[in-house]
Amino acid sequence: MPPPFQNPPTGRGQGVVLRSDGPGSDVPAGWIALAGGMLSIHEVTKRRGSREILSGLSFEARPGRVTAFLGPNGAGKTSTLRILLGLDTATSGTALIDGVPFARLADPVRKVGAVLEGSGAHRSRTGRAHLRWVAAAGGVPRARVDEVLELVGLADDSRRRVRSYSLGMGRRLGLAAALLGDPDVLVLDEPVNGLDPEGIRWIRTFLRDRAASGRTVLLSSHFLGEVAATVDDVVVIDRGRIVAQGSLSEVVGDHGSIENAYFALTGGAR
Amino acid sequence: MKALRAELTKLTSLPGVWIAVAIGLVLPAGVTVLNASNSRSVPSADTGFRELAIGVVAAIVIGVVAISSEYLAEGEESGGSRQITTSLTAVPSRSRFLLAKTAAVAGTVGLLALISSAITLTATDLTSADVSIGTSDLPRVLGIAAYWIFSALLAAGITLVTRSGIIPLSVLIVNISVVSVSFLLTKVTRLAYYFPDLAGTHLFLRDSDGPVDLTPVAGGLVMGLWVAVIAGIGAAAFVRRDA
Repeated sequence: MPPPFQNPPTGRGQGVVLRSDGPGSDVPAGWIALAGGMLSIHEVTKRRGSREILSGLSFEARPGRVTAFLGPNGAGKTSTLRILLGLDTATSGTALIDGVPFARLADPVRKVGAVLEGSGAHRSRTGRAHLRWVAAAGGVPRARVDEVLELVGLADDSRRRVRSYSLGMGRRLGLAAALLGDPDVLVLDEPVNGLDPEGIRWIRTFLRDRAASGRTVLLSSHFLGEVAATVDDVVVIDRGRIVAQGSLSEVVGDHGSIENAYFALTGGAR
Repeated sequence: MKALRAELTKLTSLPGVWIAVAIGLVLPAGVTVLNASNSRSVPSADTGFRELAIGVVAAIVIGVVAISSEYLAEGEESGGSRQITTSLTAVPSRSRFLLAKTAAVAGTVGLLALISSAITLTATDLTSADVSIGTSDLPRVLGIAAYWIFSALLAAGITLVTRSGIIPLSVLIVNISVVSVSFLLTKVTRLAYYFPDLAGTHLFLRDSDGPVDLTPVAGGLVMGLWVAVIAGIGAAAFVRRDA
């Protein structure tokens, strides 16, 4: 039996506030999980028809760290995130959050916040109405809607319909919905896509703060410069296979920069 | 309960649903009033109830929109983002999601049917001198509510398979308003009287003009069976497919 109160070896994540894990967790008794929530992708394979989109992917995203998921368009980043979130099913393999599949999380809105493409909202609803139903689904108090609107800078536009939002405003609305439950884990697909420079700087600081408070952040991106300034760990995938993973400095290695490493690993500019 | 509250909030914040509610309240009552002033229309035991059968359009729109709104792509620049991803990350259990959706649609449509029946039958009572509506018609009003709810769930079940409202909306609305496919088929085979839209009318109509005369309970059971099968296929597709 593992010794109690021992943290998994998470490097920077060590030393964050401990708390006991809620019911429904598969963490062995005696272990105290970190506030963050561990994301474990294990041997995930996904086939669509005869095409293999993901081939035996395994990686982890740890509490207290920002993990970047890099790869060219069509490499399988979004598919992996969708499997992690239970939206798509893997042909084989497992994707777990603190040892539990997403669909079996006791309180998903407080455990995981996710932003995939766009806003994830219906065009005919107002931003506020969108957040209100997500809050209702998660059992989050109504007052929290105003808090997250303020947080992402949408308070003044909350009564406009989503159809009138710019791409960047839609992204902010998606992030607001993900933050309603103040979740332990953030999963973001291309979070800086569509944001203006101010928004990019804001989200960089914001994600660093989340990690510093012991939470888990997993983001996919193809903005390499942005990644170098924000993340701790890097997972590079190409054509459904992992080609490199480790801390940022490990993956950069002798390549000098993440950009050089990326092109060397993914076979250069195709 | 959390999931149900979310689904009710979704329905009440969609403009399409409010348009459907307005149609459901105005259309049957309006047709009743128009018919009453038309000297050629002959009042019968079904006056008011036939008009309420037309109002089922509102129920169908709500059933379709409740599902199709989840799959409406946001726009090209957002990479085809759809609400269903938000829905299933907030309520990951697909069976719980569908149950909440079903309850929200059935509750909303049932309430709408009762209010619309009250308006339309009051209008019938006031405008048709030869027809009087009384408490004895209460079972028929419940029949209307059941017919509207069944129709909404049937529409929702089909939309779960198509994931788009265009086909189910156009087919179902044309079937009611322009030409009844089921009714045309009765000219070919008597079995068409057991199609859901025709069998279900026995829930509230009393002057049956077809050769197949079902009791209200039998009519309700036949339509309910259709709903169970089609919504079941839709649910099975929804649970198995990638969102």
